[in-house]
Amino acid sequence: MKRTPFQQQRRLAKILDAGELHALHDLLTIYNGMVIVLIAGFMSITQQKIIQTMNAHAFLAQLPSLPLPPAAILFDTIGAFLLLALLGRIYREAALPPLPRYLCLAAEIILCIVIMRSLSLAYDGIVLLVVADLLHRYSGRHQLILLSAAMLGLYAIVDYNIASFTNHLSPFDAYTVYYAAEPRAWIIAIHHGLTSVNLVLFVFYLTLLVRQNHQEKQRVASLNAQLEEANARLRAYALEAESVAETRERNRLAREIHDTLGHALTGIAAGLDATAILMDIAPARAKEQLTKVKDIALRGLKDVRRSVEKLRPDDLEQLPLRQAIERMTKEFSDSTGMKITFEVLAWPQRLRPDQEEVLYRVVQEGMTNARRHGHATHLDITVGARRGIVYLLLADDGCGADITQLKKGFGLRHMQERLALLHGKLRYWSDQGFTLEAILPENEEASTFL
Amino acid sequence: MNILRRLRRCRTPRFLLGLLLAYLFVFASLYEMEPKTTILRVGLFAGSIWGVPQGDSYAYIDEVIQNFEAAHPHVKVIYQSGIRKQDYSEWLSGRALAGELPDVFLLPPDDFDLYTNRGVLAPLDALAKDDPDLDLDDFYPAPLAYGRSGGTGALYALPVECVPRLMFVNRTLLAREGIPLPPDDWTWDDFLAICREVTRDTDGDGRLDQFGAYGYTWQDAVVTSGQRLFRADGKASYFADPLIESAIRFTLALQQTLQGQTVQERDFDLGRVAFRPFNFAAYRTYQPYPWRIKKVTNFEWDCIRLPRGPEGKNTSPIETLLMGISAQTPERQLAWEFLKAVCYEKESQEQLLHLSAALPVRRGIIEDAAPAALFGSAADERSGRSPQAVSRVMEEGSLPDRFPHYSEAILIADREIQKLLQGSLQETNAMNRLQKEVNDLLLK
Repeated sequence: MKRTPFQQQRRLAKILDAGELHALHDLLTIYNGMVIVLIAGFMSITQQKIIQTMNAHAFLAQLPSLPLPPAAILFDTIGAFLLLALLGRIYREAALPPLPRYLCLAAEIILCIVIMRSLSLAYDGIVLLVVADLLHRYSGRHQLILLSAAMLGLYAIVDYNIASFTNHLSPFDAYTVYYAAEPRAWIIAIHHGLTSVNLVLFVFYLTLLVRQNHQEKQRVASLNAQLEEANARLRAYALEAESVAETRERNRLAREIHDTLGHALTGIAAGLDATAILMDIAPARAKEQLTKVKDIALRGLKDVRRSVEKLRPDDLEQLPLRQAIERMTKEFSDSTGMKITFEVLAWPQRLRPDQEEVLYRVVQEGMTNARRHGHATHLDITVGARRGIVYLLLADDGCGADITQLKKGFGLRHMQERLALLHGKLRYWSDQGFTLEAILPENEEASTFL
Repeated sequence: MNILRRLRRCRTPRFLLGLLLAYLFVFASLYEMEPKTTILRVGLFAGSIWGVPQGDSYAYIDEVIQNFEAAHPHVKVIYQSGIRKQDYSEWLSGRALAGELPDVFLLPPDDFDLYTNRGVLAPLDALAKDDPDLDLDDFYPAPLAYGRSGGTGALYALPVECVPRLMFVNRTLLAREGIPLPPDDWTWDDFLAICREVTRDTDGDGRLDQFGAYGYTWQDAVVTSGQRLFRADGKASYFADPLIESAIRFTLALQQTLQGQTVQERDFDLGRVAFRPFNFAAYRTYQPYPWRIKKVTNFEWDCIRLPRGPEGKNTSPIETLLMGISAQTPERQLAWEFLKAVCYEKESQEQLLHLSAALPVRRGIIEDAAPAALFGSAADERSGRSPQAVSRVMEEGSLPDRFPHYSEAILIADREIQKLLQGSLQETNAMNRLQKEVNDLLLK
């Protein structure tokens, strides 16, 4: 499939921006990993030293809870972080269905809590990493709620734990107390620095994310405008094409009439003139001449018939009227869901093509009206023929219409006119739904004639 | 032919792999089915926490371990011996930080809150409830209550042994002065009267050389005053309460009988002091041979309850040694069984009476014990003590206070009250000021 220039441009821009975002997210992950290893190592070594130098009791008294053993601090933290990084990658990159993706996210949050606990909450920057992951796939209705809930939950945990330090030192400070004043100041400064850098990275990431979202929106808006313009042009073109087709058809008709009917009539007129002269001089010749005129008239009639053939609707052209109606009702029923029954009491034996077309049009128009204006679900179509009169009855169960107010705009006038041309009649009334009745005299002569 | 073909098929790699797996399965199941020894680690310290010499610190626990291992064939109970009492607290904290806490361990007396607040100890209420063999009502109330957390009331430790604080009486001295042994329900006034009577100069050198009491503190008076010093949650104190004030006044009156002189421990050892409050472990240790020689030589002694104030009771504060289960132990049920063996089982607690200076915490053992076993071999029919009386002391014993700022609060109070007793402070409002100062500390 060939891409339009718009699509290509959009794709390219997305790749560029996404590349930047990805790089920054990777940086955030690697940085957090580094900090966590550093802090876990520091705490692990310090705790080991505290045990060795017999300061355990005093140290424990300063802590709000029992920390993990030194080796566990290091390995639990690093293990949990690696898992978190992996899950984060899966969450962001893989095309997962929603449920596994949410599970992935939940696991990430749990791991985040595990890491914070095993570090005795000495480093909460990991929350930002998880929030960055959360924000990354920000879309959909529930995601916003989910996101807010998850973020609030994480921060509630952190704050609750910090609140529990009121009577104690924060655990990290308790670890630093082991050292002399000067190295202690350095350690605290470095710890603060590490947290701040993480914050800066996170804010930078957020900015980039917001910018990307903004650009995405602008791109969509511009594409929409372009689409709108193309649509307008298409509509104008369709109108133009229609009028061109109409003109062309008119011209064709004119040509057709001129070629067939005009030719025949001219021939007939000339033949009749000749006959009028011959009538008195040579009656035998005049008779001969009249036979010729009749031939011309018949040929003209054939040509007219052929032209009319060309103007008939597709189905009617290919099929007899009965099958054509059956097929049309079936297609309409299939496409709209309206139930249509087509019943034939007695099928008229002799119908002219123009009569067939009128009947076909009445069925078509009636069906459309029942659906469009009556909102009907059922439509009964009945055809009958009796003593040279054809009856067509359409009864629906729709909402009907106020007959007095009814403007014959729904194609009714058109139907009436076409029926009148063929000495037919159209009647309609509204009781339970809307009922339409078309009456048409059968034309024996024409049918035998043709 | 068929058999040959089948044999040939046997050499295919898939068949060999299957065979190998089958072997592995058999060996693995054999290994699994083999009974494995479970190791239960116990944390203990050497020496008695009651401040009395003890021949073999591990005698009681060794006895319990032996019985426990006999009852549980695939369990081995081990402990690290030689950790001194004064190093134990640090040692245990170190083990906790290193993640190597023993499964069951004795609690250092001051560290109960340290360990319960940090989730180091496993809560025992559920274990006790699910155990049909154990009824918590079998314990004396005070020692059991000591194993409950002050805040939540959850049980975190069971008492192993305990000692009540009692009044030691120099029977020889009282007999010489013609004073009968005071009854168990004697009062401060009785106590003060006897002290006034016996305090005098016997050799005529102008200095007092016979005294009423040694080591009786204002806290002993407070305990028997009928009013507690601190609210149960440790957030308020009642120093300004009239009953407490009366206890302090009584201590002051007792002090004044000494006419400015101070009594030394040696005076008591030499038989020149009529009364001395002491824990019961000391009585049981020094009463029989050989420790008797070291302590007292020339007088008979006995123990009775502490005298009571006008509104108070003859209660004895009971000190308790607690044992708990580590929250991290993989063998919680087994640890519970062992804890029960140490603290609850009747046979063990009966042994405790013989192997330790302290008293069992389970009811029904002291009453059944022979007086000789309880009071030492020197106890004789002249002593008015009966095992039932000791059991009653235990039943009615009071619980020592325990809350986060307790030691600081009591330090401040002792400093101020000592000033009062030595007359360097006017009593007016002193107790009110003290109460305010202590309350400020407690609310911190």
